[in-house]
Amino acid sequence: MNPNDSTENFAKNISMQEPIKLPGSINITGWILLIIGVLAIAISFFVDRERSSFNLLIMLMFLLSIGLGSLFLVALEYVAGAVWSTPVRRVSEFLSSSLIFLPVVAIILIFNMHDLYHWTHSEYVQSDKILSQKTPYLNYVFFIIRVAFFIGIWLLFYFLIIKNSRKQDKTGEQVLTKRNTNLSAAFIPIFALTITFASVDWMMSLEPHWYSTIFGVYYFSGTVLAALASATLIIVLLRQKGYFPVKLLQDHLYSLGALMFAFINFWAYIAFSQYMLIWYANIPEETSWMLQRWTGSWKFVSIGLIIVHFIVPYFALLSQPAKMNPKRLIIMSIWILFAHIYDLYWIIMPTYSRDGAVFGWMELVFPVALVGLIIVLFSYKLRNNNLVPIGDPKLERGINFRL
Amino acid sequence: MSFDYSKEIPIIEGGPKLADIDDVIARPLDTRPDRKFYIALSITLTMLAIGAVSLGLTFYYGIGMWGNNQPNGWAFDITNFVFWIGIGHAGTLISAILFLLRQKWRNGISRFAEGMTIFAVMTAGIFPLIHVGRPWLAAYLFPYPNEHGIWINFISPLIWDVFAVSTYFTVSLIFWYVGLIPDLATLRDRTAGKIKKILYSIFSLGWRHSNRHWHHYEMVYLVLAGFATPLVLSVHTIVSFDFAVSVLPGWHTTIFPPYFVAGAVFSGFAMVQNVLIFVRKIFNFEHIITINTLERMNKVIILTGSMVGYAYAMEFFTAWYSGNPAEQFVFINRAFGPYAWAYWTMVSCNVIFPQLFWFRKIRRTIPYMLIIGILVNVGMWFERFVIIVTSLSRDYLPSSWRMFYPTLTDLGILTGSFGLFFTLLLLFIKTLPVVSISEVKSVLEGAQPSHLHNGSEEVISHSSNDSGVNHA
Amino acid sequence: MPDKIIPEKILYSVTGIFDHPDEIINAAEQAEKAGYKKYDINTSYPVHGMSTAMRIGPSKLSYIALVFGLSGTTLALLFMWYVSSWDYPMVIGGKPYFSLPAFIPITFEVTVLLASIMTVVAMLFIFFKLPNNSHPLHDTDYMKMVSSDRFGISIQASDPLFDEVKVKDFLQNLGAHHITPIYFDESEISVKNTVFEPKFIGFLLAVFFATAGFTYFSLNYILAWGPFNWMWNQHKLNPQKRSELFSDGFGMRMPVEGTVARGYMPYLYKGNQAAASKYMINPLLPTKEVLSMGQQKFVTFCSPCHGYLAKGDSRLRGQFPNPPSLHSEKVRNYQDGDIYHIITEGQNTMPSYAKQITREERWAIILYLRALQRSQNAKETDIK
Repeated sequence: MNPNDSTENFAKNISMQEPIKLPGSINITGWILLIIGVLAIAISFFVDRERSSFNLLIMLMFLLSIGLGSLFLVALEYVAGAVWSTPVRRVSEFLSSSLIFLPVVAIILIFNMHDLYHWTHSEYVQSDKILSQKTPYLNYVFFIIRVAFFIGIWLLFYFLIIKNSRKQDKTGEQVLTKRNTNLSAAFIPIFALTITFASVDWMMSLEPHWYSTIFGVYYFSGTVLAALASATLIIVLLRQKGYFPVKLLQDHLYSLGALMFAFINFWAYIAFSQYMLIWYANIPEETSWMLQRWTGSWKFVSIGLIIVHFIVPYFALLSQPAKMNPKRLIIMSIWILFAHIYDLYWIIMPTYSRDGAVFGWMELVFPVALVGLIIVLFSYKLRNNNLVPIGDPKLERGINFRL
Repeated sequence: MSFDYSKEIPIIEGGPKLADIDDVIARPLDTRPDRKFYIALSITLTMLAIGAVSLGLTFYYGIGMWGNNQPNGWAFDITNFVFWIGIGHAGTLISAILFLLRQKWRNGISRFAEGMTIFAVMTAGIFPLIHVGRPWLAAYLFPYPNEHGIWINFISPLIWDVFAVSTYFTVSLIFWYVGLIPDLATLRDRTAGKIKKILYSIFSLGWRHSNRHWHHYEMVYLVLAGFATPLVLSVHTIVSFDFAVSVLPGWHTTIFPPYFVAGAVFSGFAMVQNVLIFVRKIFNFEHIITINTLERMNKVIILTGSMVGYAYAMEFFTAWYSGNPAEQFVFINRAFGPYAWAYWTMVSCNVIFPQLFWFRKIRRTIPYMLIIGILVNVGMWFERFVIIVTSLSRDYLPSSWRMFYPTLTDLGILTGSFGLFFTLLLLFIKTLPVVSISEVKSVLEGAQPSHLHNGSEEVISHSSNDSGVNHA
Repeated sequence: MPDKIIPEKILYSVTGIFDHPDEIINAAEQAEKAGYKKYDINTSYPVHGMSTAMRIGPSKLSYIALVFGLSGTTLALLFMWYVSSWDYPMVIGGKPYFSLPAFIPITFEVTVLLASIMTVVAMLFIFFKLPNNSHPLHDTDYMKMVSSDRFGISIQASDPLFDEVKVKDFLQNLGAHHITPIYFDESEISVKNTVFEPKFIGFLLAVFFATAGFTYFSLNYILAWGPFNWMWNQHKLNPQKRSELFSDGFGMRMPVEGTVARGYMPYLYKGNQAAASKYMINPLLPTKEVLSMGQQKFVTFCSPCHGYLAKGDSRLRGQFPNPPSLHSEKVRNYQDGDIYHIITEGQNTMPSYAKQITREERWAIILYLRALQRSQNAKETDIK
């Protein structure tokens, strides 16, 4: 590459390449997984409605993690003015489109809220002094309004940001970057508040007596990890199979690996802070949540969480070569995605099964449908969009990025 | 369009040559201090003297000289401690975290910020010592086998503090010194004074700018940055544990650790920004510490300020949501009780005024940012005051509620802490290079070989294996 | 540098200067290609890609950080375990002796502290062999230039391929200027042992006396100054001081008459040996334990005057009114109550032992004394 090439020539060089075609088998696999998964979900709702609702909640939160987390990563690139991630930004943009499926899952869940949330049982709430105090916040109508409002606002920002980004492919106008930067700056505080209250609504209110100020941050740390891991997985796979139209250096991989490593530590830091403060102060209304996760076989799930979500990825990504080793990155991205589901399972399922952990085919089919959905969605997006934002003024700097 | 996204903003403006950097940075060291310096020094020394007298009174008569009472066992002392420790956080953030994030604009300000970290931690370290009433007994804080056959209590967060603050100070000092070695060597080779030459030779350890050394040096700098990053988080986390592990409403909140860290970075950046505004003006560093750098700092200020605002909001929401009357009372009391003035000072200075930085013009205008920076520091001092005093003065037992009023000694010690910090800073400015010579040189335009003509992939794949383990 | 004039000077290296970072990278690559091993590049800041050009392998220092970091973790945990659950276990706040969550902060701090210090120490003192201010490159024009804005290469004479003319040509071809040979100084070649120099010994002595003097003064004088009075001055009544509160000036008050302290049993037969002899009976049986206690107390309190065998033959004999033997007819015919009364109240010169010997011990002593008396005046029946 000649560094004296102007941006326009540079963009032309890339756009002149063949459009990226993934092998058809990938799309078909995605469809098969999706159809099998959806059918199995339908069956499981007939078999055990309550347990399926809990599993669907895990699926919703995971979908939210990937969709909203990816949108956050996109916004973060604009706000921080980062250049290294510009060549790979589209992957996150594609993944954030999974936000579109959020309303479907949310509506199914809203019809099953009675199985999930204790505070929807009005006869119980009336006899409970603390819960009846919380009814201005925890009630059907306000809950649904919040869910609708949050999803609406996420989708709004999704469409605005993605529209500008796609438009830039054709025009290459710098104004669009400026506009997206402003949009992202507005999005990030809104994101912080909405994701907090979404996590409070969907997950913290499963145990309506319990409260933790840091809970939103805890879910946020997992969200970013899941979004990063899914983006890394796809980027590295595409790069290794030679589908990426621009040359991604090890510097790019290192940045992804280092960010994952940083957020693994961040998650551990937040999780430890929450556990430590509750354990040390030992106030009954707070410890109940932790004690529930120490009952019966949940104990082993809790210990497993530390190993799965922190110790293994920490040591696997500790060394500098490991952070840019494609093979290691692929394995660890899959591992971290699994760890995030594990984390959500640990948060959500103890409310369903108080005596000990449960695991069966139902817990398996929901992620299958999710994986299928994401594969189908991604290959659809890939067919209709450029994998690289060719009109982005930062692209050339991003490709020439050196640590 | 204000600027071109496809071009990188130069970090050092005006395209100076390598040798110019030596001259500009070494000038304050080569010239005799002028009258303005002595006036500034006399002001800070007066403040320091006020603090010394107040401390003397405290030692002689005991901490009854302070406004502390039952139940306000902690007041100005711990407020000042947390405040100064927080100021120190910006330095490590700039030198370590921004280093790991490859933010090259940090190179112009990192040395100065590290220096401020060290002085701020020194200032902060005074407060826990005097707070115990008999500072000469502080040796008991360290675990050594003693004649009593008893050990310190490792379960106490106050002991964690001892370890955290002393580790933080040591590692910051090492980090600072490692960064200084090449600069001292450069100064050694250009100075004319004999005594200066000897001192520089001793402290530069005979550094030869060898690239066989630079190779390891860069690795160690990376490793140190990797250690300093979680360390800086841990320090204010542990400070927050001092409060949060208790069962006192208003102190026991799970969001405290990240909230304290964000607040610390917030106030630290405001302080660094304030001081840099003067330093760049007085020593003509305007092309090294550019408006772009200051603007980026202001962006960090608004980010961390919003995090702090988020934490305030979450605390309020959770207090209501908890259904716990004691929790709810504390927050109502903060906002509408006898200390409401302090609370609203804190909210307006920390959350409302920094929002002005959303405007690009304010972000890039020196007087505005100076005022907002000062307000942020006022607000952050009041934040610690609000957390400590409002929670303690009205806790579970209404019969023992009592107000806290600071005495003259309290105010004197607070003044003295500023005196100490700024005195050390002034001395630092005149004795050591306040901008890292080697780091600034390395980001000058044309200072690095043009990568592309070497065959990019090859270079990267080699340098990527440069270094084994990185704790980043 | 006047290098040609003093031929006996030992050559250290030949140096060359470049003006541009690209040139120095090229120089390093060419030096590698030419097979030089002992050469160095000197630049006042790290030049990107130089490690690759010089083909230096990855730095091992990160392993030092890892090893010392992990040892810090282990040491801190072991130490806290030893202190809190082994050496002096104490329940604090209802937490277990070994409270892992509470130990994590300190473990982390110690890990970071040890790793950071040891990495830097290893780098400076082991890897770089600093401090070294007597290196031949110091105080040369070469060092002045590379220290500021030039890029220098220095090919050492100890390199097996070194040949002064060839190296100069090599540098010339690369486009270097200021090609200069660097020689060792006198002081850099001859290493003198300076440990026994009077100056150094004097310095050690000075340090010794200064430290010792300061320690002496701080422990004996400074610590007794003003605020450091270790709570000696307190608002309370010290022993032997006059009380302002009571008219008689005593701080301690006498108990009200007839007060009986808890657990104290008054002696009923004060001054009345006859009654004591008549009404008191030894409550103890002469078991082995009682006798051995009696023996112990007898040896402690009685034997100093009466002698080990109660013959009145202690070493006090002749210095006081002679202590009586307890084997006399009179004592042998005493009732137990008589002896108890005498121990309790004293007799003649003998003081009361009520304060030193408990009631039970007195009875035990009496039993032991009876055994002693029997041993000295055994009846014929005892021999059987």
